Amino acid sequence: MKTFLQFILFMAMAAVVILMAIVLGELGAWYFAWLVGTGMIVLITAAGGALLDAQDEHAAHAASIKTGDA
Amino acid sequence: METYALLQITWWLLLGVLLIGLAVMVGMDMGVGTILRYVGRTDLERRVALNIIGPHWEGNQVWFVLGGGAVFAAFPLIYATAFSGFYVVMMLLLWSMIMRPLGFEYRSKLPSEAWRNTWDWALLVSGLVPMVVFGAAFGNLFHGAPFQFSWNLTSTYTGSFLGLLNPFAILCGLLSAALSVFMGAVTVMNGAEGVIHARARTLARVSSVLAIVLFAIGGFWVRGMQGFVLTSGPAAGIAQTPLQQNVSLLDGAWFANFHAYPVLWLVPALGFAGMLLGLLAAGARRSHLAWWLGAVAWLGVIGTAGTALFPFLLPSSSTPAQSLTVWNSSSSQLTLTWMVGFAAVFVPLVVWYTSWAFYVMRGKVKAEHVSADEHAY
Amino acid sequence: MHDINVVDLSRLQFALTALYHFLFVPLTLGLSFLLAAMETVYVTTGKPIYREITQFWSKLFLINFALGVATGLTMEFEFGTNWSFYSSFVGDIFGAPLAIEGLMAFFLEATFIGLMVFGWKRLKRGQHLAVTYMVAFGSNLSALWILIANSFMQTPTGASFNPVTMRMELSSLTELIFNHDAQAKFVHTSIAGYVTGAIFVAGVSAWYLLKRRHVELARRSFRMAVLFGVLATAGVITLGDALGFIGGQAQPTKLAAMEGLWKSEPAPMPFNLVAFPSQKDQVNRGQLQVPYALSLLVTHSMDGTVPGVDRLQQDAIARIRNGIPAVAALQSLSAAPGDAFALATFHAHEKDLGYGFLVQRYAADVTQATDAQIATAARDTIPQVAPIFWSFRVMVLMGLLMLAYFVLAVIYSMRNNIEHQRWFLKIAVWMIPVPFLACEMGWLVAELGRQPWTVYGMLPTWMSASTHGVGYMIFSLIGFVGLYTAFIVAEMYLMVRAIRIGPDQSHSGEGAGLLTDTSQAARLAGYAQEA
Repeated sequence: MKTFLQFILFMAMAAVVILMAIVLGELGAWYFAWLVGTGMIVLITAAGGALLDAQDEHAAHAASIKTGDA
Repeated sequence: METYALLQITWWLLLGVLLIGLAVMVGMDMGVGTILRYVGRTDLERRVALNIIGPHWEGNQVWFVLGGGAVFAAFPLIYATAFSGFYVVMMLLLWSMIMRPLGFEYRSKLPSEAWRNTWDWALLVSGLVPMVVFGAAFGNLFHGAPFQFSWNLTSTYTGSFLGLLNPFAILCGLLSAALSVFMGAVTVMNGAEGVIHARARTLARVSSVLAIVLFAIGGFWVRGMQGFVLTSGPAAGIAQTPLQQNVSLLDGAWFANFHAYPVLWLVPALGFAGMLLGLLAAGARRSHLAWWLGAVAWLGVIGTAGTALFPFLLPSSSTPAQSLTVWNSSSSQLTLTWMVGFAAVFVPLVVWYTSWAFYVMRGKVKAEHVSADEHAY
Repeated sequence: MHDINVVDLSRLQFALTALYHFLFVPLTLGLSFLLAAMETVYVTTGKPIYREITQFWSKLFLINFALGVATGLTMEFEFGTNWSFYSSFVGDIFGAPLAIEGLMAFFLEATFIGLMVFGWKRLKRGQHLAVTYMVAFGSNLSALWILIANSFMQTPTGASFNPVTMRMELSSLTELIFNHDAQAKFVHTSIAGYVTGAIFVAGVSAWYLLKRRHVELARRSFRMAVLFGVLATAGVITLGDALGFIGGQAQPTKLAAMEGLWKSEPAPMPFNLVAFPSQKDQVNRGQLQVPYALSLLVTHSMDGTVPGVDRLQQDAIARIRNGIPAVAALQSLSAAPGDAFALATFHAHEKDLGYGFLVQRYAADVTQATDAQIATAARDTIPQVAPIFWSFRVMVLMGLLMLAYFVLAVIYSMRNNIEHQRWFLKIAVWMIPVPFLACEMGWLVAELGRQPWTVYGMLPTWMSASTHGVGYMIFSLIGFVGLYTAFIVAEMYLMVRAIRIGPDQSHSGEGAGLLTDTSQAARLAGYAQEA
């Protein structure tokens, strides 16, 4: 259920973002948008990878505190 | 002189530069493909030879793509007429060329002997056939091709596929293949050691002798050949179509430019010098020097053909008056201007980073590296 | 004169080779930037697993790339070999972006890909990362120039017809480059490639997670792919709308076909969700409509309208009648270039020259064209509605499906428990073909919708082809089908095999055996830390 609600929330967010982009875009400066957008997508993707390692370390740390063998 | 005529001549020269770039850079990779089965007797030896050009063939091939693109952009009527007229040849060229990327990329991905053998043959075909076609195409320019235009410049080709395989065209095709084998052989010499190096050296010497002989025969042949002469038509530098001129045929006319400007004899001399000195350099195991001399030979050979034909690009044998020249088949002034600008910025840039890529990957390719490297070809 | 069978066979051959080429291009566009992102993490964090990840995916990238390059050569040849008149008619404009593509983009991509593969040991980390970015940037720049050329065919700007040289000539390169259609289409296509790359990486990673193999590599790849994918999908949908908005104004016949719009209607217009268009009777057999939606979608307002087929065909008749004197005058000019009267007549009618050519298919002497021939030519201006209508809907549906998939994937991946959502992993594997299919559908909508023109409103397709015999076309079609079938079999086999083998043997790119021990040790240490 929680997943479903989250899914709906994020889909709604995506819809709002797309709608805003459509309204602002029309005959927009799309080449420029591509340059900025691609840079942003690549950076967020890279950050996502790094975040996974941080999550893993955090989980390992929490687990070791729980078992007390830190 | 008119700006437009100047631009047309500039693009004619630039096209020469690109075709020489194509012949040198793509020609050497194709040469390696052609001689692969000879210089490498075992699978590992062949992989060494392949990996010498492994890091560069992809970039080199762009000279081919760019050559096509430049003809399209600067001389669209040539691109349209030649590519459609020589349909069967173009298809054979294309099919052999598209086997090449796969030959490199897929050959060593499976251990099967039959698989690798098949791709080795594919590399041979895709090295030899395009170079023969490249030369034969030049040969056919001297005879002209049978095509004509309708009122709106729709071209119709009336020749056959076999007509393109005339003796002079075959001679030019063999010359082109010999030069490509020479370049391939000295490239292998640059990157290999021991027995592979020795076999490549033999091939370099044989192919350069062959090239000298073929180039000389070609010269005598053209001397007696019927050439095309532009007798009347709109002046250079005026926008025109091939429907407004007169052309006559004359024995020995392809030598007219050399007779008018004897200094041009230096161009074929450069070709002979490149081949002769290349032969000596390869014999003396100075393979890097031999590579550069081979490039000079290409410059001389393609330059000679261009000089002889000028201002013709593609004469029509069936309707000589509709022959295509630098003046009637080029793009508009604006397009040529933009393209000169782009070429002036990007050709040096390309040469710079290509040189850097060769610098990074310099040195000999060792068998033990090839067999241990999962990414190697 | 052109043999219509040859024109149709040339179209078939071009469509087959282009669709085939376009199976490999999107993955190159997207995977190259994903590789760059992966390597960025490696360089910034220094964790060896990210080098292993980068090298593994680059192996798959190359198998795909080789076929993309090979089949791209075909495309460059075919304009000349099969569309000879097209090439000479618009080569002055169309050739330039193709040449610039080679000069500026393809060289960059192809030169640096050699270093990307072979340069791991010879380049510093930062240098290698820069090389990877150059490959990604170069391949997308390539797409940019190709799509600028394509957009000229869709909405010709920056050019005009020159009666002296009997062809179209460039009037402004900046107008050609900054064509609105080119801008939106490039971004739409490039990002569609990102989506394709993301679904591919996520799908293969999901397969590993299902098999519980290479889990550390797969979790990280999955995370990065779905973040990449969710942003890209949102972008694709946005740009898809922009493209419809721009194209709707410039190519009304394409829009009418996409929407199955036979009759012009007052605003606000309903949207045909489902319909079964009949080209012969020019009606929809059965349809399901959403009120008001079409006006909102294509004009971004409630009171906007777009013309239906009925009005477009009426307009075409008028334009054909106006174009006929232009063709006749041009014919006189060809015989006598100095004819001042013919030149004046031509200039008075030149904007409809293409429409005059359209009727020449039925009446070689256009001045003798009958009303019936003009009506047939006007009917020709409407492309085949049913395939365009449905390709468009399938593409949009797939886009929305992928958005939903990525949103859910991001939720699971960010919670860091994707390994346990096995049903979802199975879906992820099955999603792999979806973006490829969507890309093909997009090509069909764009290019079928352009018919009957090669250059919209300027040059009809029937005139554009080379004057070959049917025999030549059968020869080349057989050759392409045979070769391409063999190629795809080899490619799929190698791809599946490389995926099955997995990354275990691929960590040697940095120079083989000497490295394996230390890197394995480092990896084990890294995993120990994580675990």
